[in-house]
Amino acid sequence: MSDTSSPERDASGRFVKPDAPASPRIDDGEMHPMARLLFGWVSAKATPGIFLWGTITICAGLILADLAVHRHEYLHFAEFNGFYGIWGFGAFALAVLSGWPLGRMLRRSEDYYGEGDTTPQDAGVEDDQ
Amino acid sequence: MTALIETLNPGFVLVLAGIVGLFIPMQRVRQGLMVIAPLVGIYMLTQANQSMELATAHVLGLDLVLYRVDSLNFIFGLAFLIAALLNAIYALHGDDKLQDGMAMAYAGAAVAAAFAGDFLTLFVFWELTAVSSVFLILRAGTRAAYFASMRYLAIQILSGVLLLAGITYVYQASGALTLQAFTSLDEPGALLVFLAVGIKAAFPFLHNWLQDSYPKATVVGAVVLSAFTTKLAVLTCARLFPGFDILIWIGAVMTVFPVFFAVIENDLRKVLAYSLNNQVGFMICAIGVGTPLALNGAAAHAFAHIIYKALLFMSMGAVLYRTGTAKASELGGLYKSMPFTAVFCLIGAASISAFPLFSGFVAKSLTMSAVAHEGYVVAWLMLLFASAGVLEHSGIKIPYFAFFGHDSGKRVKEAPFNMLLAMGLASAICILVGLPSFFGLGYGWLYNLLPYPEVANHYEPFTLGHILTQMQLLMLAVLAFILLKRFGLYPPEKPGTILDTDWAYRRLGFGFANWAGTVWGKAGPAMTRVAGLLAQRGYDRIEAVFSPRGQLSRGPLTGGMAIWTAALLGMAMLLSFLTVQH
Repeated sequence: MSDTSSPERDASGRFVKPDAPASPRIDDGEMHPMARLLFGWVSAKATPGIFLWGTITICAGLILADLAVHRHEYLHFAEFNGFYGIWGFGAFALAVLSGWPLGRMLRRSEDYYGEGDTTPQDAGVEDDQ
Repeated sequence: MTALIETLNPGFVLVLAGIVGLFIPMQRVRQGLMVIAPLVGIYMLTQANQSMELATAHVLGLDLVLYRVDSLNFIFGLAFLIAALLNAIYALHGDDKLQDGMAMAYAGAAVAAAFAGDFLTLFVFWELTAVSSVFLILRAGTRAAYFASMRYLAIQILSGVLLLAGITYVYQASGALTLQAFTSLDEPGALLVFLAVGIKAAFPFLHNWLQDSYPKATVVGAVVLSAFTTKLAVLTCARLFPGFDILIWIGAVMTVFPVFFAVIENDLRKVLAYSLNNQVGFMICAIGVGTPLALNGAAAHAFAHIIYKALLFMSMGAVLYRTGTAKASELGGLYKSMPFTAVFCLIGAASISAFPLFSGFVAKSLTMSAVAHEGYVVAWLMLLFASAGVLEHSGIKIPYFAFFGHDSGKRVKEAPFNMLLAMGLASAICILVGLPSFFGLGYGWLYNLLPYPEVANHYEPFTLGHILTQMQLLMLAVLAFILLKRFGLYPPEKPGTILDTDWAYRRLGFGFANWAGTVWGKAGPAMTRVAGLLAQRGYDRIEAVFSPRGQLSRGPLTGGMAIWTAALLGMAMLLSFLTVQH
C-alpha cells in the first residue's frame, strides 16, 4: 500500500517539498506600517554599531567642545573639562552595576507577599469592542 | 454669572462633575461632562484675580478661605486641570462610571486644595483626595489591588489625621487658620503638619504607599494617580516650609535612593513610581533651598513633571492595556506594533531625562542652578547623580525594555485613538514648553507663570554652557548604557518582588501581628482555663470548710464552735465595757 497520505506527497501521489518549519524569527510582515517608516532602521544589522560609534563620536565632540567653551560655574570644580560627562558616565555605571548585588539581595518570588497577580481587570484588551 | 465664574473654586466644579458622573449611565454623556469640566475649570482659573480672597465662609466661628489664587498655586492648579483633561481623554475607551466619577472628584479635590486659603479647607480636600483616589486602585479588581488600596487608604488617612492634629495646635497658638509659612519646626503643630506633608510627598521611609499602590491600579487609574497627591504635597510644602534646610537633604536622598530600586524593578509601572519619587525629590530639595530661583525651579519642575509623568504612565498603560502586562521581562519589540505609543513614550523619556528642547531641561536647570548658587556641593552632586539615574530608569529602561530590546514576539494592535490623542497632547506640551521662547510659547510661557516671574525671566536656560554640560552628562551616560549592554554587564530583567522598607510592616509587622494573634489564640483560652481552675479550687476549699456540709459543720465541734464564739464575743464586750467605764 502506498503511503499517499504522507505530507510529502500531494493528492496525485507526487512528491512535494514539505513546508519549512515555522521560523522562530518573527515575521516582520506583521509590522505596523508606521513602524516600518519610523523604526525600520532599528532591526538593521548595522544599527548597533552605528549607535555605538555615533555616541562615541558625539561624546568626544562634547568633551572637545568643552575645551573651547569657557564655562562659568557656581561650583568651581565643575568647570573641569568633561566633569559632567565623567560624572554622568560614572553615575550611570554605578547605578546599573549595583543592580547585580542589589538584585541578589532584594529580589524574592513574585508571590512573596501573597499578592502575585497585579494585572488589573481593564488590561489585556487586544481588540476594541 | 461672571461673578460666580470669578469667585468659585474650579475644584468644586470638578468635584461636582465627578459626583454627578457617578450617576450618569450613558457613557458618552458622562465622558463629555468629564472632558468639559476641566476645560471650564481652566477658563475659570484664567478669570480669577490673583492674591485676593475670592470666596470666604464663616462656619462655626471659623473664617475659611475657599478660593485664593496666587503666583504659587496658580501653576499647580493649572497643571492639575490640564492633567484632569488629559486623563479624561485617556479614559474615553472604557465605560466605568465609578472610575470616571472618582477620577474627576479626585482631580477636583486636588485643585480645590491647591486653591484653599486656610488650613481647614485644605484638610477637607486633603482627605477627599485620599478617599476618592482609593477607588482607582480598588477598581483593578485583584486581590493585590484590594490589599494595596487598604494600605494606601490607611496611610493617606493617617496623613490627614496628622494634618488635623497639627491644625488644632496651630489654631490654639495663633487663633487663626490662615495658610502661612512656618518659621521653624518647633512651632506648635509644625512637626505634625510636616509629617502629614511628608507622607503625601512620599519622603524616604514614608514612600512605600506609592510604589505599593500605583502599579496595582487600573490602566487609567495609575495615570490619574500620578498627577495629584504628591504634587499637592509639594505645593503645601512650598507654602508652609520654604527654606527649611532639612528639606534639602530629604529631597537629595529622595532623588538618589529610588534610582537603585528602579534599576532592579521588573514592573515598568513600578519603575515609574520610583521615578516619580525621584522627581519629587528635586522639587523638595528646591523648596529646602527656598530662594526665589529655587521655588521657581520647584514649581516649573512640578508643572513639567505632571505632564511628562502622566505621558509615561499613559504609554505604559497603553502597553498594559494591549498586552496585559507591564513587566520588562515579558515585553520588548513593541515598536513594531505600537509605533505611535513608542514615539510618545520616547518624548516623555526625553522630557524626564531633561534633554535640551524638552520640558524637563528648562525646569530642572532652575533647580540645579539654585542649589549650586547657594553652595550646597554635596546635595548638588547627589542631584547630578540622580539626573543620570533618571536617564537610566525613565529615559532608557522604560522605552528600551517595552518597545525595543529583545523582541517578545507580542504583536498587538496600536493603542486606542483616545489614548493616542491624550499622549499626543501631553507630548505637545512637553515639547512646546521645552523650546526656546517664540511668539509667547516655549519656556518663556512657563517662566511667566512661575511664583517669581521677574526672577525667572532673568534666567536663561539655553546658554552654551548649560546645553553642553547637560548633553555631556546625558550622552556619556547613554554611552555607559551601550557599553554595559554590549559587554553583558547590564543586569537582566527578572520577574520577582523587590523588597523595600515596606517589608517592615508588610512582612515583619504583619508577621508579628499574626504571631501575636496566634499566641493570644492559644494563650487566651489557656489563661482562662488556669483562672477558672484557680477560682474553682478556691471555691472548693471555702466550700469544704464553711458550707453546711463542710468541715466546720461536721461533728461535735459545731456546738463547741458556737459556744466558743459566744464566749469570745461576751469577753470582747466585757473588755470594751470595762475600758469605757475607766
